[in-house]
Amino acid sequence: MTDLMPRENLMLRMQTEVQRALEKPQSSRHWGMVIDLRKCVGCHACTISCVAENKLPPGVVYRPVLDQEIGTYPNVTRKFMPRPCLQCAEPPCVPVCPVNATFSRPDGIVAIDYDQCIGCRYCIVACPYGARTFDAGRTYTEDTPEQQAYELLPTYEYGVKRQRVPRSEESPIGNVRKCHFCVHRVEQGELPMCVTTCIGVANYFGDLNDPDSLVAEMAAQSNVVVLKEELGTKPSVTYLV
Amino acid sequence: MTSISTPTQAVMPRGPSMRLAWGLAAVSTIAGVAGLIWRFTGGHVAANYGSYVPWGLWIATYVALIGASAGAFGFAAFVFTQRRIEHYRVAVLATLVSFGAFTAGLLNVWLDLGHPMRAWKLLTDTSISSVMGIMAWFYLVYGLILLVGLVGMRKGGVPTLVERFSWVAILFAFVFAGAEGSLFGVVGAQPLWESGLTPILFLAEAALFGLGLVAVAAAVFGLLESSSARMLGTGMLIAAGLVLAIEWAEFSTGLFAGVPAKTEALGTIISGPYWWVFWLLHLGLGLIVPALILLRRRGDVMATGLAGGLVAGMAIASKLNLIIPAIAQEDIAGLSESFSGPGLGTTYFPSPMEWLVWLGTLGLAGLIVLGGHRWMSAHFTETSPTSLQETK
Repeated sequence: MTDLMPRENLMLRMQTEVQRALEKPQSSRHWGMVIDLRKCVGCHACTISCVAENKLPPGVVYRPVLDQEIGTYPNVTRKFMPRPCLQCAEPPCVPVCPVNATFSRPDGIVAIDYDQCIGCRYCIVACPYGARTFDAGRTYTEDTPEQQAYELLPTYEYGVKRQRVPRSEESPIGNVRKCHFCVHRVEQGELPMCVTTCIGVANYFGDLNDPDSLVAEMAAQSNVVVLKEELGTKPSVTYLV
Repeated sequence: MTSISTPTQAVMPRGPSMRLAWGLAAVSTIAGVAGLIWRFTGGHVAANYGSYVPWGLWIATYVALIGASAGAFGFAAFVFTQRRIEHYRVAVLATLVSFGAFTAGLLNVWLDLGHPMRAWKLLTDTSISSVMGIMAWFYLVYGLILLVGLVGMRKGGVPTLVERFSWVAILFAFVFAGAEGSLFGVVGAQPLWESGLTPILFLAEAALFGLGLVAVAAAVFGLLESSSARMLGTGMLIAAGLVLAIEWAEFSTGLFAGVPAKTEALGTIISGPYWWVFWLLHLGLGLIVPALILLRRRGDVMATGLAGGLVAGMAIASKLNLIIPAIAQEDIAGLSESFSGPGLGTTYFPSPMEWLVWLGTLGLAGLIVLGGHRWMSAHFTETSPTSLQETK
């Protein structure tokens, strides 16, 4: 019976490691994620929890799960591939920003300063992974008689409380938005929402600079794949296949 | 500068054609005001560009008009530098056309911004690693040069200073138009754009569209004479040849190389849902038909005006071909089907609001040129200092 139980709770381990990393200076840690595609069942729980956590409006998505068919009928298999922002170490989206609104943080997260962003969307076309989306100001209940309360809940992205005012031009409306590893949670010692809600524990998150961390251990596996590696963007998100 | 103040006899065209031009520009501007209200009350919700196709009609118009502006300005500067006094009035009009196109182009990109009221950050917080950031400064300098030039020439005649330093303006127009192409050429994520040929294509197109715009404007205002028509026509033919050669090089190497990311984008241009934009509007009406007209009727005023009108009118089709097919490809297979929502598709057709605003910006450009033509009427008379310079 004991052999059938998980030897350790991976979630608790990753959370402990996040808290340990937070004790270091910001520039000494490098947040990263390894997604085990063999464990992903395509349930989209991560997508939905991300939408709920970040109060994402229609047309904005941080972590879609791609459903890819491999082979031709009748020899077909399916593969699910979650695609958060890959938090590249050499991000093509950063140098194209004309006003320095998007930048690499010392901890490896590629962030957006919503108050600085002018909404030119140059970064969207520069991202080779399609990881950025534009907040045009839509709401889920815009064509209904009443605005629903949940649409007006504040977001806490990047640790800043923001009230989204539909049809206005107040940030984050009019901004480009993207996954930020739920940095507002991580900095409180919590795991990103997608990691917490993954039913198969297919996501490993933590400090890549910590050789004892689970994520560093997974990132060192021989079956790690880097998306569009030839571009040299050095993503902080890799895949186990 | 020849500064003769004599009673002038107007050669400014009057009558139905001008009334029609004013009417069209005014109606378009009014339509644009309606679109503008829609844009600012409805935000970007009323637009059809989104996340996977983040740029659309306005950006295509912006790059087309800015390029045309640089081309027209380059023509004017060339005429002044070479002291081709027989073309001075057309060159003054070209400066005016350049300003109109520049204003309308900037208006298009400004309205496209998610936060138009933060546009000033482009100058205060410029990132020098961004071509767009550098372009913002180019626009400022360029706009100032245009304004100073127009004010300087307002009273008639062309100041010696303008004649003497126009070579700087030619150089600037050259760099400016090329840098506009670099805006796209540096985007490594878009295989269709990332090419050393992109800035060169933009240069050739800037010359073509600029000369076309000047030709049609000069014909409408009755300023086009056989010698100017011949000069503009020759310029357009050379530029059209260059555009064709560059596009052939780009398309043939892209297709023969067979790299899927690029061939898919090229395939969308050639045989996608909007194939007719490439074959009929851009290649047919925008390049081949004008070239045939110019070859058959060299120096003919009406023919040159018509060819210029076709070239200028199809400029936006050319830029749409470059922008939309490139970004309408999925960055990763299955991305657009993984999560549905507005703006998360790979198809694009401008919304009514986009068309209205677009029409308004073109109408405004028309009003600027028409109004400017009156404001600078001293140039466009039989005995104006400019015409006297021309008849020296």
